[in-house]
Amino acid sequence: MRVANGLVLGDSAKEEMEETKNNDDNVKKNELNHKQGVDDEEPRNLVLNAASNLEEATLDGEAETNQRVEESDSSEDEVAPRNTVGDVPLKWYKDEEHIGYDITGKKIKKQARKDMLDSFLAGVDNSKNWRKIYDEYNDEEVELTKQETGLIRRLLKGKTPHEEVDPYAPYVDWFVWDDAKHPLSNAPEPKRRFIPSKWENKKVVELVRAIRRGDIKLDKPKEESRLYLLWGDDSSSAEKAPGINYIPAPKPKLAGHEESYNPSVEYIPTKEEIDSYKQMYEEDRPKFIPRRFESLRNVPAYENAIKESFDRCLDLYLCPRTRKKRVNIDPESLKPKLPSRKDLKPYPSKCYFEYKGHKDAVRSISVEPSGQWLASGSNDGTVRIWEVETGRCIRIWEVGEGVQCVAWNPMTGLTILAVAVGSDVLLLNTGIGDDEEQDKIKKLLHVEATSVANHSDHNASLVDWLQHDKYEGIRMRFLKTVTSVEWHRKGDYFSTVMPGGDSRGILIHLLSKKLTQKFSFKQHGIPVATKFHPSRSYIFIATKKAVRVYDLLKQKLMRKLEPSLREVSSIAVHPSGDNVIVGSREGKLCWFDMDLSPQPYRKLECHPKDITNVAFHQSYPLFASCSEDSTSYVFHGMVYSDLNQNPLIVPLEILRGHAATNGRGVLDCAFHPRQPWLFTAGSDSVIKLYCH
Amino acid sequence: MDLDDGYGEAMRRVQVRFTTKLQSPLRVSPTSIAIPSNLTRKGLSVIVNNLLKAVNSDWEPQPFDFLVDDELIRMSLEEFLLAKGISAEKILEIEYIKAVAPRKQEPPCLHDDWVSAISGANSSLIMTGSYDGFGRMWKTGGLCTHILEGHTGAITSVCMVNPKGLESSTSLCVATASKDRTLRLWKFDSELSIGHPSKVRSYKTLNGHKSSVQSIAAHPYGAMVCSGSWDSTINLWRTNESDADGDSTSIKKRKVDNDTRESQSESEALSSFVGHTQCVSSVVWQQEEAIYSASWDHSIRRWDVETGKDSFNLFCGKALNCLDVGGESSALIAAGGSDPVLRIWDPRKPGSLAPVFQFSSHSSWISACKWHDQSWFHLVSASYDGKVMLWDLRTAWPVAVIDLHKDKVLCVDWWKGDSVISGGADAKLCISSEVSIS
Repeated sequence: MRVANGLVLGDSAKEEMEETKNNDDNVKKNELNHKQGVDDEEPRNLVLNAASNLEEATLDGEAETNQRVEESDSSEDEVAPRNTVGDVPLKWYKDEEHIGYDITGKKIKKQARKDMLDSFLAGVDNSKNWRKIYDEYNDEEVELTKQETGLIRRLLKGKTPHEEVDPYAPYVDWFVWDDAKHPLSNAPEPKRRFIPSKWENKKVVELVRAIRRGDIKLDKPKEESRLYLLWGDDSSSAEKAPGINYIPAPKPKLAGHEESYNPSVEYIPTKEEIDSYKQMYEEDRPKFIPRRFESLRNVPAYENAIKESFDRCLDLYLCPRTRKKRVNIDPESLKPKLPSRKDLKPYPSKCYFEYKGHKDAVRSISVEPSGQWLASGSNDGTVRIWEVETGRCIRIWEVGEGVQCVAWNPMTGLTILAVAVGSDVLLLNTGIGDDEEQDKIKKLLHVEATSVANHSDHNASLVDWLQHDKYEGIRMRFLKTVTSVEWHRKGDYFSTVMPGGDSRGILIHLLSKKLTQKFSFKQHGIPVATKFHPSRSYIFIATKKAVRVYDLLKQKLMRKLEPSLREVSSIAVHPSGDNVIVGSREGKLCWFDMDLSPQPYRKLECHPKDITNVAFHQSYPLFASCSEDSTSYVFHGMVYSDLNQNPLIVPLEILRGHAATNGRGVLDCAFHPRQPWLFTAGSDSVIKLYCH
Repeated sequence: MDLDDGYGEAMRRVQVRFTTKLQSPLRVSPTSIAIPSNLTRKGLSVIVNNLLKAVNSDWEPQPFDFLVDDELIRMSLEEFLLAKGISAEKILEIEYIKAVAPRKQEPPCLHDDWVSAISGANSSLIMTGSYDGFGRMWKTGGLCTHILEGHTGAITSVCMVNPKGLESSTSLCVATASKDRTLRLWKFDSELSIGHPSKVRSYKTLNGHKSSVQSIAAHPYGAMVCSGSWDSTINLWRTNESDADGDSTSIKKRKVDNDTRESQSESEALSSFVGHTQCVSSVVWQQEEAIYSASWDHSIRRWDVETGKDSFNLFCGKALNCLDVGGESSALIAAGGSDPVLRIWDPRKPGSLAPVFQFSSHSSWISACKWHDQSWFHLVSASYDGKVMLWDLRTAWPVAVIDLHKDKVLCVDWWKGDSVISGGADAKLCISSEVSIS
């Protein structure tokens, strides 16, 4: 290549020779320059540099090699400028003949400028013309090579200049970590890793002090935006306006086309229409009749202006100064979140069969503790025993009068049925159970004549214990009508309620000794029902207004529950003993949590008519109420052993099916002791069994 | 035959071929024919009967039932194919079987009280137990041959005890359970009675339950009976007369018993299975080593007879009244209880305790259910709604509903493989015969 240069640039070389002679000082510089030129081995450079690089050929190559070594770190692409004028505006040389000086200090002559037309023509012919760039600084034309255009294109696209560079090459971790048995440094962890940094501590103290002094302010003062919505909503700003009760005027309706001073013809009513308006009632008459004016100047003043402002003043003066606050809440969200009924199964929901046989309303039912037998007492004067699983009536007692209440003895094996009939209480032997049990029952139900005599001396006024003359059992004669009999859980004591009995309204009897005693507390109001506490020696006495809890051992009043109902009709005690439900004549049901308060924990208004009875299930978390409206309600009533958790009450099912007879509906309900089933006794003389 | 005369072109047709496993007079030619797709079971039955008549001119039409892919057709053919996603393009193979339905009603056998238990295990005699405390043996035609006297309470369950090698003889051994807390064993000659019913006394009273005995089941070879009771236990009892002595002496004694009808032996329970927490309402003893029991505590258990442990416990959620084991390889458990659903479990299915079939066409409690002892698919159920239903596992609808009783049906059984016998609270024993189960 170098040889080729020499050959091509023969003429200008001679001129250069002359210049070298003129300026000896520049020789060395030229050498340097030449070295740089050597690095750049591209032909275009050589062509253009030929004049200044004449010496290249003449000066020997040994210096070349030396300098190459020295400048090994310079970039390969860097091209030393031929022109040495430096970074000066080129217009300084605009009128000169030269464009600057080369490295030897010689003037670099401007090349003869081509005529534009010539250059254009040359360009048209030459297909590579677009690659040529004029370098003003060096006064030369540069023709870009293919690689260079490629580079530029790639740069313009934002890629790496060289195609072979892969910026996203997968990372190769050359270091083999697997076999590293030892850490890179075997030095023990230095102490400084374990102690808090002293420097940091100092810095923190410094900051804390600065904060205390107030040099550092942590919360920036809020900048109030200086811009605000000038034409923003009036009403919102009015609400924030000071003044106690600013009431914004109602917004007027926006004016339409017909309110224009010059509306289109179709808006303007005809003469007849205006006449017809006059015949209409004042309320129906349109408030505004469009009229037409030639120009805005002809529009008269608004005739109602004074009247309307007066009305507005009147409004403000007369309007009530309280603002109605609307709460925007979805009423559904206010309902308490209750578990779904599906999760609370099983519970009685459907009646599959009935116990038919009574001739009149069934007043009372009771299920034997094992769940095999059901006893019922009816207004037709019979007491019946049914087999639960088949619905067969296995025994009938004719007792003559309407039965008020039946109750099985809660001891298994002691199948005695207590029946309240009129002013008598009968204790009947049902004849169920094996011989051993029968012997025991017979012994219990035997009243000796002598003992009767003794007792009649002692407390004749209370109760007479007699042997029943017709059936196997005991007949107890009371003074007044007995409405309810309730057994103690051990099956020996039982209590009777005589609402008309005044101080003897509640009596407690001992079956094994045939004893009767008065209830030793003052009676408040007419008693309705009694219940024994399922585990402790408490008795619940419900009067029409309140429920009182007495401790029978300590002989004192423990608690008084105030349902604040009009008339209590029934009471049931949860098997755990701490919760009580009370039904009332007005159809309300109260749940008392005795640990919480004497006020009801929940008051459920469910029945439209009197509640006749309420019942708890022995093992399932269920309770039920039955009512004169011929329905029974089943609820889920979960009592948690955790004292922090209040009982959960969920209404589950309304059980219908009984027909109202003589204005009465369901008279009694009782749960099966082991299954989630409910028995209901109706005034339509049918007992229904609702199963899960 | 022109079934499609008045229907017009809009009706779609299906290519079908009738196949059957029935014997030759009931067999139609296996050529495919095009039939209207809106035909129901009745229409298909008419076609098959007509085809049979074309071959055999004095053919008596009889109802058939039709199976596609082992499922009974219970709606119109088109709906059935759509529901099952079966293509109507190909030739459809329809298998027909004799319709399972009683064709004849025998006169009812009248009792004095509710019929609470029934057994059709003996092919010549039907045994019933009644609430009046008497067990009765009936012959066809409403003839009462024997009355079993002795119980003081209602009979709740009866079963036949078949000692080894005694199947052929006319001597019968039966066991009854009663609400008087006892079980009684009876032995008599089935051929003996002529004229008025002969009275039989029990040769053995089994005492031990503390509450009424709800169900009884005999050992497959008759050596023992087991009973479930309201006291939530299952007791095992020996059936032979003396517990200690060998066979020879017992036979001797039996002869004495038969002559005098006086001496009564009592015996105690051999062992007692405790585990249920409520009334054991039903026991089944089909294989020698396992007793199945259903209880009101919502569980079905399988007891190992040797160890007395419950090896399998299935929780159902309803109080159960009846149980039977049968079906495919005598492994399926059918049970009904305090709701109108008859459920069938497959205990061989691992992991899942969900019932494999649920039949819910009854409208009240199910009081009894029984598998057919030959067929894998058929079972019968009785309900308090007064209906007896025949079920085929291949369809969810009852194949037949027998509505003969006027009150609750308390017990049901198969008899002689082709009759359904049922007893109810209307004090009747109803026999529906000629149920053809192939």
